[in-house]
Amino acid sequence: MKYFLILIGIIFSFSTLEASEVSEWFEKESNQFLEIINNNEGTESDNYEKYKYFISKNFAVKSIAYGLIGEKLINNSSDKELSIYLDVFTDYLIKTIYKLANSSTSGSIVLKDVDVKDNIYIIKSIISDKKTSANLYWKVIDTGTSFKIIDVIVENTSYFVTKKSEFNKILRKNKGSLEALIIEIQKI
Amino acid sequence: MIKHLKVILLIISVTFFQTTPSNANEEVSVSGISYDEIYDPIEPINRAVLNFNFFIDDIAIRPIVKTYKFIAPEPVEKGVSNFFSNLKEPIRTVSFIFQGEFYKSFNSVGRFTINTLTSLGTFDLASRIGMEKNETDFGITLAKGDVSSGPYIVLPIIGPSNLRDFSGDVVEYFVDPISNNVPNREYIAIGNGLNERVEIDEQLDKVRDASSDRYEMIKSIYYQNRNAQLEEEYIQNLPVPKIYIE
Repeated sequence: MKYFLILIGIIFSFSTLEASEVSEWFEKESNQFLEIINNNEGTESDNYEKYKYFISKNFAVKSIAYGLIGEKLINNSSDKELSIYLDVFTDYLIKTIYKLANSSTSGSIVLKDVDVKDNIYIIKSIISDKKTSANLYWKVIDTGTSFKIIDVIVENTSYFVTKKSEFNKILRKNKGSLEALIIEIQKI
Repeated sequence: MIKHLKVILLIISVTFFQTTPSNANEEVSVSGISYDEIYDPIEPINRAVLNFNFFIDDIAIRPIVKTYKFIAPEPVEKGVSNFFSNLKEPIRTVSFIFQGEFYKSFNSVGRFTINTLTSLGTFDLASRIGMEKNETDFGITLAKGDVSSGPYIVLPIIGPSNLRDFSGDVVEYFVDPISNNVPNREYIAIGNGLNERVEIDEQLDKVRDASSDRYEMIKSIYYQNRNAQLEEEYIQNLPVPKIYIE
């Protein structure tokens, strides 16, 4: 019984430690993100580079990009095709976030809670400006060297789920052609 | 006329609910919530209706909404939103009774009484004293009774729905204690519709800009929001990508 309690204690202290690490990481990166949103006085290409750096550093871009097209298509595509897709998707993700951030007014992101399920951290935060506030959830993984975001959920709408249904539609319309998907993404 | 409408709706509902597989989607996540390939047999019609809705929105509704948002101060906007939300408390009460959620049903009665008596519903005092608002409707009641969602439909002017939720809306129209007992209920319906449009204005602007296929995006968002109302651990159970070495 004593050893069992010690084991529980060790497990609990590890998970608490990790939760505090991810909270610390989140506080730092969300502040940096707000700083990028608020300091948009430079040229468009300067601002784009700031977003690019932030997203490459904090998002699990490859996992998101591959997750959106599914394993079957990954296995049927060449390395070259996948590499082009990854580049195009990264650019698309940066532009999407850049556009959304540009159309938002500056505010604050406050961490509310951290939950863990299946080794994925679910960070609940509130994003607010003078007029409105919204629940913002971040699904984050620990890669061993850093934390990376695999999904962002605004209120109840998940970026990953929404984009997956959009990409699936394009792929179905084009008989599963990755090339067609790349062309469609580039058009946006 | 109403009797005929009820019979027609019943026939449509029974036909679709019986021919629709219990899970209308191809790919199902671990939690049982499904998002890919939402059952959408009348997609071409739905797309045409959505385009029509955007056209009407562009020429008529959006300018009204933008002007209203520009003119109305924040407290007024909030008050109007509270007013229409309060009018739905009696129908929420009925829905909760059908769901067997009696505590929430009493809560809705209490909220309606307090907010109506203190401010005609324009100020949500009930929430301030710990009686939080619980959203529900007859579509949710049907879903909790294991009625499948049926095909996705886009309704003219009203927007995205599915056969189950639309049936729920029709039932609400006939049994809502408020709108059945006030003169000129159509004005309340129009006011409520405009208020709901105001509430999603920013999201709608983003959908216009950030999507390769706004039809798919709206459909996905609609289902995600409905599932969030049905599933307690919705956020935890959302599908996530497989992890690749970054």
